[in-house]
Amino acid sequence: MDSATESEHIEKLIKEAESLKIKLEDERQKLNDITLASVADRLETITCINVKPRRVLKGHQAKVLCSDWSPDKRHIVSSSQDGKMIIWDAFTTNKEHALTMPTIWVMACAYAPSGTLVACGGLDNKVTVYPLSQEDDVSTRKKTVATHTSYMSCCVFPNSDQQILTGSGDSTCALWDVESGQLLQSFLGHSSDVMSIDLAPSETGNTFVSGSCDKMVLIWDMRTGQCVQSFEGHQSDVNSVKFHPGGDAVATGSDDATCRLFDLRADREIAVYAKESIIFGANAVDLSVSGRLLFAGYNDYTVNIWDTLKCQRVAFLYGHENRVSCLRVSPDGTALSTGSWDSTLRVWA
Amino acid sequence: MQESIICVKYYTKILLSSTVMDMVTTNLQQQRQITEQLRREAALRRITVSKAVEDIMKYITEHEQEDYLLVGFSSQKSNPFRERSYCTIF
Repeated sequence: MDSATESEHIEKLIKEAESLKIKLEDERQKLNDITLASVADRLETITCINVKPRRVLKGHQAKVLCSDWSPDKRHIVSSSQDGKMIIWDAFTTNKEHALTMPTIWVMACAYAPSGTLVACGGLDNKVTVYPLSQEDDVSTRKKTVATHTSYMSCCVFPNSDQQILTGSGDSTCALWDVESGQLLQSFLGHSSDVMSIDLAPSETGNTFVSGSCDKMVLIWDMRTGQCVQSFEGHQSDVNSVKFHPGGDAVATGSDDATCRLFDLRADREIAVYAKESIIFGANAVDLSVSGRLLFAGYNDYTVNIWDTLKCQRVAFLYGHENRVSCLRVSPDGTALSTGSWDSTLRVWA
Repeated sequence: MQESIICVKYYTKILLSSTVMDMVTTNLQQQRQITEQLRREAALRRITVSKAVEDIMKYITEHEQEDYLLVGFSSQKSNPFRERSYCTIF
């Protein structure tokens, strides 16, 4: 094909893309018959959130960057800028393992579903898996599974210990086989750093969501590697994404100081959680087990608790002395863990 | 003088046309991907926001009682992270 016909071809594609965009917006708008807050108007207001600070986990020497709950609802893994990964007993606040990583800025860590493996990685561009045991030195049994061409920002085990899904500064996500370290599928579609990923809450689910510095939220099919849906709306980096426990919506937190809710079946944004007084970016979001509460950790050291239906802030948690960088509701929904640049983790319940 | 300007212009044009060619080829691939993605998304079946909201509210209502961070514990004893009461023996 010579350059003239190629240009014509491109022009045709651009024209088609433009008309598809208009069509998409029209279709979405047609079905936008009501606002979430107006439906929720008749619900009772949440008056009293009895969540208190219960534990402070001290031991990291620098910023806490990521954390995850063990499926036993008791242990927490955390990773830090100091190059350490720590396994905590959150009941007693004891450190059960402290592992030194080959890199500083360990930006991601995750528990495997069995609770016997943890994975972590960061500026080393790798994800390393550690089998946990009381007997021998955990670090002697470590295994490098995945390598990206830029930093690894997030990782999660999709429903089994055998595979791991990663997100990276190289703007891709990837699925790896833990045993062989083989790349099973890559997910190309973002045009900037992937910051966060989350799996759809079904055991047979093959869907996950990713948030990126390109301001986009993408929904992926893990089997085909294809992007099936995309959500625009945020004005800045999307730092955190989390599926609603019902599985039909995703909550997001962004540097634009808002959190949002996107519905997969309505194929659009259905709520914005913002206040004039909140001007700092949201780094981490999670939902309570029913999905009624949205917890969001901000750069102004606070955790805001939003009523997802009425779109109002119902409470805020103050305790950290620096940015709240990560935040997770425990698997049974009894507690919330938060990690901060103040080098501590806190448990609220 | 005139000749050298023409020469430079010609040289630039050659340079440009080869890079333009490369750009066109990558642009074509990129644009094809963008358009194909939009075609897929345009073919999605959608529901009304009112129906989506109804289902979200239904899920919340069905699970509200297990949501301890929302409704609290019926007794603080069942909170695994409650402050422990210590017995002091004198």
